[in-house]
Amino acid sequence: MGWWRNFSLSLRVSLMVAMLMIAVAVIASQLVLSALDRQQVARIRELARLHVEALSVALGPFVLRKDVWEVYDTLERAAGASEGRRTVFSAVADRNGRVLAATDPRRAPVDSPISRLANGAQLPGKLQVGNREHNVKLLAPLVYQGRKVGQILTELDISDLVSERREARRLLLLGNAIATGFLVFLGYLATRRMLTPVSRLVSRMRETEGAPRPIPRDEVPEGDGEMARLVNTYNEMVRAIASKADTERRLAERERFVSLGRLSSSLAHEINNPLGGLLNATDTIRKYADRPDVVRQSADLISRGLRHLRDVAKATLDTNRYERTDTPLSPEDFEDLKLLIGPETRLNGQRLTWAVEMDRQAQPALPAAPVRQIVLNLLLNATAAAGKEGRVGLWVATGPKSLVIEVSDSGPGLSDSARVRLLESGPVPSNGGVGLRLVRELVTGLHGAITTERRQGMTVIRITLPVAARDAAAGESGEC
Amino acid sequence: MGAAAVMAPALPGSAAAPFRLGLTPVFLDNDALVIERLRRALVGALEMPVELEQRRTYKEVTEMLLEGALDAAWLCGYPYLQHEDELSVVAVPLWNGKPLYQSYLIVGKSDDARDLSDLRGDIHAFSDPDSNSGFLVTASDLAEMGLRPDEFFGRTIFTYGHRNVVRAVAAGLVRSGSVDGYVWEALARMEPMLTNRTRVIRRSEWLGFPPVCAHRDRIADPEVRKFSRAVLDFDRTSDGRAALNLLQLDGMTPAYPSLYDGIRRRMRIYAALR
Repeated sequence: MGWWRNFSLSLRVSLMVAMLMIAVAVIASQLVLSALDRQQVARIRELARLHVEALSVALGPFVLRKDVWEVYDTLERAAGASEGRRTVFSAVADRNGRVLAATDPRRAPVDSPISRLANGAQLPGKLQVGNREHNVKLLAPLVYQGRKVGQILTELDISDLVSERREARRLLLLGNAIATGFLVFLGYLATRRMLTPVSRLVSRMRETEGAPRPIPRDEVPEGDGEMARLVNTYNEMVRAIASKADTERRLAERERFVSLGRLSSSLAHEINNPLGGLLNATDTIRKYADRPDVVRQSADLISRGLRHLRDVAKATLDTNRYERTDTPLSPEDFEDLKLLIGPETRLNGQRLTWAVEMDRQAQPALPAAPVRQIVLNLLLNATAAAGKEGRVGLWVATGPKSLVIEVSDSGPGLSDSARVRLLESGPVPSNGGVGLRLVRELVTGLHGAITTERRQGMTVIRITLPVAARDAAAGESGEC
Repeated sequence: MGAAAVMAPALPGSAAAPFRLGLTPVFLDNDALVIERLRRALVGALEMPVELEQRRTYKEVTEMLLEGALDAAWLCGYPYLQHEDELSVVAVPLWNGKPLYQSYLIVGKSDDARDLSDLRGDIHAFSDPDSNSGFLVTASDLAEMGLRPDEFFGRTIFTYGHRNVVRAVAAGLVRSGSVDGYVWEALARMEPMLTNRTRVIRRSEWLGFPPVCAHRDRIADPEVRKFSRAVLDFDRTSDGRAALNLLQLDGMTPAYPSLYDGIRRRMRIYAALR
């Protein structure tokens, strides 16, 4: 029955209505046919009874006198005069069961026992007629003036009645089939029409692909029926989903600031430390303004310090500039990230292992902004998990069809809630932030995959981002 | 086969009693056309109403004639001779130019019987116990063998009609039958499908044709004399010829004294056994 479940609900309901109608039609036809059969059997019995009675009246005195010729002559004339030559054969016997005469004397010679022919004969009142029989054989007592004077054996041709029954049966079945077909069609149309809102709902749900849209008000069924309530409930649900998505989006937006916020103290250190050196250099210049070598040395120092500050500011700005989705990913993006995360790891006394094996000539066609956000969030998560004196690592490699990013830490491993946020699409657990969920959504948006494992005491989160798929997706969207 | 009365319409202004002619279905079975033609021929010749009275058996018609209920009757040679002292022959039909006919012994087409002796123990159909060709001939043949019909045959039936004898044999109701040769030949032309299912295995000698008789006491009555002239002149009137044609007869002739000697001889043989 798997194929049955593959049909749409509206088709299934329509087909079931059709099948029920056919079943009702079959039962109704059977009832009518059996009534018709009963009526016709009663008619044939009546015919047989009248036939025998008429013969009894005509033959009585001749049978009583055993007048062979008169019995024969009467039988022959009766057979010849019977409606549509209904009598195929008749034989009359005396009280001892000896044939007096028959319409076909060679089949029933005079004085032969009538019992020889009586095989399969029925009493007129208990006559049963099969569907394929053309003749019925009757054996009845010949009663004259209230006493039995002999027996009548007669074969009646009922082929016209049988064919009439067959024709009636054929016409009835044909009529029923046409009527049922028409009703089935109407039922199908009506059911389809009744279930149109469901079909519309299903197609709406199917075409949304994660962003369901409400059904327009003019398409909502009128009244307060189940269908109207169903569609209204769906619309409310769509609005609730949209509201939730909006909330999540705002949360994700905030997360970007959160991640930067988390870096702010270490970035402050990163800015503050060179500032001391720079101020010293300016003091030195003032003090030894007449010494060009010292001034040049101090100016170099100031220049290096300011460049470092410029790099930090650029990295922070780049990370915060989320709209730069069309800027392709480059090794510099990872350098920026190293610059951003470096102070955090140093602050925690952690050892940072950094290996970016990106071929500058064969850079993957990936947008920089989401990848930076993914890696930054994972690195922040890793530094938090690794704790003081821990180890944090990044390994990036480009393959022929994908970019692989591994972020590792020496922490105790992902908690259950962190695992849910990173690996599953269910509701976000109430404890903890949304950083890992943002990672998951960004990876999903890039058609990538996330796996985790413990390797040599390290928790490794592996992100695989398909490059080819990104190209294909870009091509598809470009056609729109 | 019951009796049928064929009433002639009363002639305008005539109060005369109709002329009553008796017929038996032994001759030709209920042929309405024959009867109508015969009646028309007689009405035209006698110029008076004519009633044709049909009865089932020779015996009934003969008794009616003897009682005076009929003015004349078309009988058979055998009942005529049984009442020869009371009856007189008015005319004798001519068949094939002669006032003679034969009795046929017939069996079914596929029956292998060759003679009367082959039919012993089987069922035989006679037409009428007072018929010469339909009973007396076969009965007298058996009498010559010292047997009565019910001793020789397993069962005998009377069909009261020569055509019925042919039907009974053709259908196989009986194995054999005694039938008027003239009727069989007439049927062979009119209903060959019926006679083709039978076969003649024995023909009797030529015997006097069934005569038209009247009571001796009334033979000189004007109506009877007029009737006699009318039937003897049938071949000279158009209505008469039409009736004769239907009956496949050539005309009518007066009887000659030795015409019924053959039947008389057979009556003696049969009576001797009884």
